[in-house]
Amino acid sequence: MNVFQDFKPLVVAFALLFVSITVSAKNTKYKCCHDFNPEAWFCDLCGCSTSSGSFGFGTLSNANFVGVRYIYQDFESRNGIFENSPKSEEVFNTYQLWAQVPINDTFFVTANVPYQDLTRNFQGNKDNLNGLGDISAIGWYRLQFYKKKSSDSTLVDYNSPKEPSGHSLQFGLGVKLPTGKFEEELADNVNPGFQVGTGSFDGIFSLGYNYGGDKIGVNTLMSYYLKGENKNEYQFGDQFSYSVNLYTVFLSDKMNIMPFVGLSGDVYDSITQYDETLQDTDGNILNASFGSELAIEKFIFGASYTLPVHQSLFGDNVESKQRFSVYVNFAL
Amino acid sequence: MKLLKYTFALLVCAIITSCSSDDDSNNKDLTGQKGDLILKFDNAVGDQDFIFGTTYNKSNDESFQLTTLKYIVSNIRVKDNEGNEFMYPEEDNIFIVNEADGNNAGEIWVVLTDVDAANYTEITFGLGVDQERFALGAEGQGDFLDLASEEGMMWSWASGYKFVRFDGTFSTANVSDEPLNIHMGSVGASLDNYREITMSLPNTILVREDKTPEIHIKADIAKVFNGASEINFADGYDQVHTDANTTPVVAANVQTMFEVHHVHND
Repeated sequence: MNVFQDFKPLVVAFALLFVSITVSAKNTKYKCCHDFNPEAWFCDLCGCSTSSGSFGFGTLSNANFVGVRYIYQDFESRNGIFENSPKSEEVFNTYQLWAQVPINDTFFVTANVPYQDLTRNFQGNKDNLNGLGDISAIGWYRLQFYKKKSSDSTLVDYNSPKEPSGHSLQFGLGVKLPTGKFEEELADNVNPGFQVGTGSFDGIFSLGYNYGGDKIGVNTLMSYYLKGENKNEYQFGDQFSYSVNLYTVFLSDKMNIMPFVGLSGDVYDSITQYDETLQDTDGNILNASFGSELAIEKFIFGASYTLPVHQSLFGDNVESKQRFSVYVNFAL
Repeated sequence: MKLLKYTFALLVCAIITSCSSDDDSNNKDLTGQKGDLILKFDNAVGDQDFIFGTTYNKSNDESFQLTTLKYIVSNIRVKDNEGNEFMYPEEDNIFIVNEADGNNAGEIWVVLTDVDAANYTEITFGLGVDQERFALGAEGQGDFLDLASEEGMMWSWASGYKFVRFDGTFSTANVSDEPLNIHMGSVGASLDNYREITMSLPNTILVREDKTPEIHIKADIAKVFNGASEINFADGYDQVHTDANTTPVVAANVQTMFEVHHVHND
């Protein structure tokens, strides 16, 4: 209780900060729609989205863990400015070390160290780019709600611990570091935006609501990415990510099985370079996903499959096909 | 707990400061600095990339296919954000844009070297050869005379250059696969069909010693037949050569076919 009171002003400030940022994001003008910059989109998708809130930062049960995650993503993009321009296929393989580490009862940190392995296939020519991606870390404050004590009780029982209601709010504040190399120029036959990182420092602001009951649970998360400018004066558009996952719990002696379904999405603001907005570099995508976690003793195995429901990425020049992820975590 | 509070406060500061960048290197003195500029010409029919041998429909129930598609571009100049104009050196400032020279994306590149470093917002070029250049005489044409001859972009010295050359076949409601040849140019000094095109750029381009921006220009071939005015093969526009009536109409249409689709900065 003392801890909570100590942090009350901080929590309020945090919430205000989040709200103000979200509001300013809504006021941003979105430009439409007859032009595009093929340099633009790649990095947003490869460098950021795999560390994005729409992928989730942790496990369904919000357990603390260290683990590894593999993400497969498949895109198709138009290689030219015309309707009949040839298409290229891009496959992003991401290998992540990720963790959720507790600091105390109310604070924890999530971190994500990705390795990117990107392949682009255009008319039989394959280009490959790999390397360390952008590392991100988020500090979280968890506000746990407790059940009300029964009102008819005349006895105040000072000894019994408060009973968690299962509802909680989480406030996250983090950074994404430019640890992935943003290469200024790649050969002409390689898409210049085919990058493992954005080259920028980004701020991450997150707000989550979780409910974990005996039988079902809900995880929701909204994150705002305030993107910085990289050394090439290239600034990816700010990004808003959201996700909702519903899961059920099947308990048995040996294991817990938690199947889930979810919706997630990202909204990208336009990219700016030299303080000018680049046309058709904004976009949005809504995904549906399903999967399951399986907890056996200290190990949590997870798999999920995601398909786009609606998308309008970068003047429709880019199409997300599907994504798939598997992970193995060791609970702390 | 205090330590945590400070850690968070520090984190907030770090994020806020890291997200505001002020190292604007755009306004340094650029005097004497030069760089390259690439123009990418991309021929289209409407929203489709132009492809040789494809049948394209036009108005009046007519269609066409092309086997040759070239045009002459000259007097390229760019204007910076302060209104200063950079004209590419005259002797090198003439190019043949030939669809057959396109890369695998169908783009024909014109590379301008030693362009003054500046922030450019507008481009102008001429379609064809202007009277001053023609007046320099055969000697004054430099290597371009030979190039134009090899490329079939000359009638004779007296008649002069073909500014555009479209060869192929056409069909109408009444005929099919008849030869189509649109060879538009000036005729000596008597008929001037040289036209200029000025386009503002959707984003400023920065030419620097270490930055080579690209201007991606879409050329919509459909506008040649339906630009400033609509022309039909059935009305004699299947064979356009040195005619004083038809060539200016084609020239006016060709002038409308260009659009800066987008630009790239490094």
